[in-house]
Amino acid sequence: MTQTTRRQFLASSAILAGSFALPLRALAQEGPIKIGTLTPLTGAGGPYGPVMADTVKAVVAGVNAAGGVLGRQVEVISEDDQTNPEAGVRAARKLIDVDGVSAIMGTWASSVTTAVAPLCWESGTMLTTVSGADSITLLPHEGYIVRTQPNTILQGRKFGEFTVELGAGKVFFMSPQTPFADSQFSEITKVVEAAGGSTAKLIYDDKKPTYRSEVDELMAFEPDVVVLGGYMPDTTVLLKDIYRAGYEGKMLAFAYSVNQKLVDALPAEVVEGIYTIAPSPAEGSAAYKALTELTGIAAPDPYTTQIFDQVNMVLMAIAAAGDASGSAIRDSFRTVSQGDGKPVHTALEGLEAIAAGEAVNYDGASGPCDFTEEGDILDCQFRYEQVKDGAFTLLKIA
Amino acid sequence: MLSYVIFSLTTAGIYGLLALSLNLIWGGAGMVNLGLAGFFAVGAYASAILSLAGVPVPLAILAACVVGAATGIGATWATVRLRGDYLAIVTLGFAEVVRLVAMNERWLTNGTDGLPGIPAPLKSVLGPQGFAVFYLCLVLAILGAVFFLLRRLDLSPFGRVLKAIREDQDLAGFAGKNAMRVKLIAFACSAGIAGLAGALYAHYQSYISPDHFQPLLTIYIFLAVTSGGVGRPAGAFLGAFLVILFLEGTRFLGHLLPGLSSGQVAASREMLVGLAFLLVLHLRPQGILPERIRPAPRSQP
Amino acid sequence: MTDIFQAVINGVLTGALIAIPAMGLTAIFAVLRYVNFAIGSLATTGAFAAWMLNTHAGWPVLPSMAGAFVLVAAAGLAIEQAALSRLRPSGALTVAIASIAVGIILENMLRFGFGNDLRAFDLPLMRDWRFWGLRVGPQQLQTAGIALAIMAAVFAFLRFTRYGKAMRAVADNPDLARLFGMEPRRIAMATVALGTGLTGVGGALLGLDSAIDPMSGSRLLLPIFAAAVLGGLGSIPGAVAGAILIGIGEELSLLVIPATYRSAVGFLTILLVLSFRPGGLFGERAA
Repeated sequence: MTQTTRRQFLASSAILAGSFALPLRALAQEGPIKIGTLTPLTGAGGPYGPVMADTVKAVVAGVNAAGGVLGRQVEVISEDDQTNPEAGVRAARKLIDVDGVSAIMGTWASSVTTAVAPLCWESGTMLTTVSGADSITLLPHEGYIVRTQPNTILQGRKFGEFTVELGAGKVFFMSPQTPFADSQFSEITKVVEAAGGSTAKLIYDDKKPTYRSEVDELMAFEPDVVVLGGYMPDTTVLLKDIYRAGYEGKMLAFAYSVNQKLVDALPAEVVEGIYTIAPSPAEGSAAYKALTELTGIAAPDPYTTQIFDQVNMVLMAIAAAGDASGSAIRDSFRTVSQGDGKPVHTALEGLEAIAAGEAVNYDGASGPCDFTEEGDILDCQFRYEQVKDGAFTLLKIA
Repeated sequence: MLSYVIFSLTTAGIYGLLALSLNLIWGGAGMVNLGLAGFFAVGAYASAILSLAGVPVPLAILAACVVGAATGIGATWATVRLRGDYLAIVTLGFAEVVRLVAMNERWLTNGTDGLPGIPAPLKSVLGPQGFAVFYLCLVLAILGAVFFLLRRLDLSPFGRVLKAIREDQDLAGFAGKNAMRVKLIAFACSAGIAGLAGALYAHYQSYISPDHFQPLLTIYIFLAVTSGGVGRPAGAFLGAFLVILFLEGTRFLGHLLPGLSSGQVAASREMLVGLAFLLVLHLRPQGILPERIRPAPRSQP
Repeated sequence: MTDIFQAVINGVLTGALIAIPAMGLTAIFAVLRYVNFAIGSLATTGAFAAWMLNTHAGWPVLPSMAGAFVLVAAAGLAIEQAALSRLRPSGALTVAIASIAVGIILENMLRFGFGNDLRAFDLPLMRDWRFWGLRVGPQQLQTAGIALAIMAAVFAFLRFTRYGKAMRAVADNPDLARLFGMEPRRIAMATVALGTGLTGVGGALLGLDSAIDPMSGSRLLLPIFAAAVLGGLGSIPGAVAGAILIGIGEELSLLVIPATYRSAVGFLTILLVLSFRPGGLFGERAA
């Protein structure tokens, strides 16, 4: 085969592939608007994904009951990423190519989000994620990625500042290996050292049934505050061993690991007094209240609050653009999430305002939901809570 | 829809290479490699790291085969004389160690962030859809080539020695064949093919991370080889495509279960995978394409 | 020096927990000659069974453990009958691979029924005792004590009862057992019940010590296998020794290597031991 003919062959096969894809696009304009969730329903993220997927379904059911979006019903297709990017990519291909969804919501593991992202920007599908790795919004995503999880620098600094506020001279950081463990630790260290304190860290293997020797290392450091960087399953085991070792100091954790389920599963004395930090809306947020009413969960997980915001914004962006395609969602996303419009707190409220020709500004259950060009949260407040008698007590929102 | 089919066929082709790799040692020499995902990972990382450092992609892929094979020898030189069960567990542990290294050695693998931006050959020239078609052809061509090489091997004296070893190691030893060496070579070839599959996956996806290489992948490949027929390359080939058909097909059954929560639907799908696996083993213990040479009657253990 | 003593204590306590399911695995291997990969999920099943009995039916801990043994043994028998026994003519590897499928099904049945949320026993937690600069948890000691009692019971069963003796005979030589007029099938079934039941109790004890979710057993598959292989597949004292050695090895290793590589220690230990003793520490056959 000569050079020219090969090029012709390749070009013609590209055209062939393209022409098959076209009728599908056209078809997607009819019938229901399709959006997808890609959350971990099995595997390491299993404690988080199911409630996220069910929250999206509940929001959409409410919107459909009120007449849908642009006069069309909305259909949610839920796929399982198995907390595994290989499986996640297969699931995302199905969502994009077969179902023709215009947005994928809720990717959790940073590896899954990074693996799925190119499929999304190549096919013009919106991707909203709760993943924490800073590298995600640095991908060349052409605006198709929006992340509701604050990046590590913002979060790490808040953790550091709060440990100083708690009067810590010595801070011990314990975390499994995650994409943000290192940068979070260095942010904490910066703040703590500036205040004259010192830090140490231990990265552990998150599959162990006990962490006695790891906790011995913690005790040897004699910290004033222990910062826990893990997820629910490993943090549960770790907290038991920390209690047994007789640690009496303060502890600080992500609200997604020390959450209501963890508190319910452990004896009260083990979790008493733990501080948690989560991105948060202002006090008395209507969106947060709407979410607790919708799901019946008194203290929803930070991931649940975030996916609630994601689906609300996606639905409103479709309505504002008057078009259900992925590129339309991308283009109008920031017109509903931020700006001078009327403050709204649920999709229902927003859709009504948009239908009446008003501009809207969504204030969500996870924060004000304003985004930079790169897709990161512009600014957000944090919710500081403490476990008291088996329940979370709000200390402050700042 | 078409691009989904092209994608699934490409994935099936890569699974097919893994199935051929497993079949070579399992069907060929009776050795079980439960660490297949580990060798797949080694190949993927080798090719990704090299090509990101500027090595041309074809060379990087070749190097991945060599690194895979070398790792195979390294992981098994001490254990190749062990009984099958012991070897299986050692390889299972090996895959876990590979994952730990990929997670923790940031300087080499970029840790849990993974390696994004792995060069995808000709993608900038062809565009996403042209690339998908091109890559499918590439994977199928390589799969075909490996398939024919293995069939040749199957019929060659080396292949016959392998099967003799599988049936009776002592006898093959008496017959003057150095059983250990033959097994080691077979394992190295097998690990090399798994490495090749990993390299092809890395350049196809442009992104790999430690999370990609979980034990579930190895289980899928066992499902492929068992359902296709152990001991026959065509069986492994067919099995891989059946597994993808099944894994993808079960996605469309979700709406048949109304009233279940998302978590329950996902659990049902995984149960179905397990059940299908069991059914195949019971209904066609020799697989869909059974081995043509009748194995010698085996002595009761 | 205190560090080392403390690591050894921690290792023994963890090892005692791993030892019970490892004994179950190795017992099944001794008689039926296949490696049962479903033990991870069977351990999880035991943990859920004991948890249900303890928190929902209000049973105290010890009866809940016994209940876990009985329930998981029954499940193990049912699985053996329905899914595994007919595959035995196809070879031990086929049965082993089928047990992987069984494990997947079991784990997802638990996920279907209980969800992915964490569960823990409704028990108060006690602080550790401290002496000579060392610390030991009263509950860990109690758990290790239960584990020891179970081990003693298993050894007594194998040595003094008719079934136990028969199992050992079959393990040593299947043909010989037939000569003594013992029916191999019944002995096989008794072994499956014993092995899976032990795995169930082991899982329940682990759940008592940490927490329970559908994957808690499968996370421990590697250390359990490593323990059984290290001791020599098929040797029950070997499984106990292997588990305790791996427990101590892992904890000691933390003094010199990063904690993230803890899982690799078990693997390196078996690689090392198998290089010199291909049959494991107590293994009966070399190849």
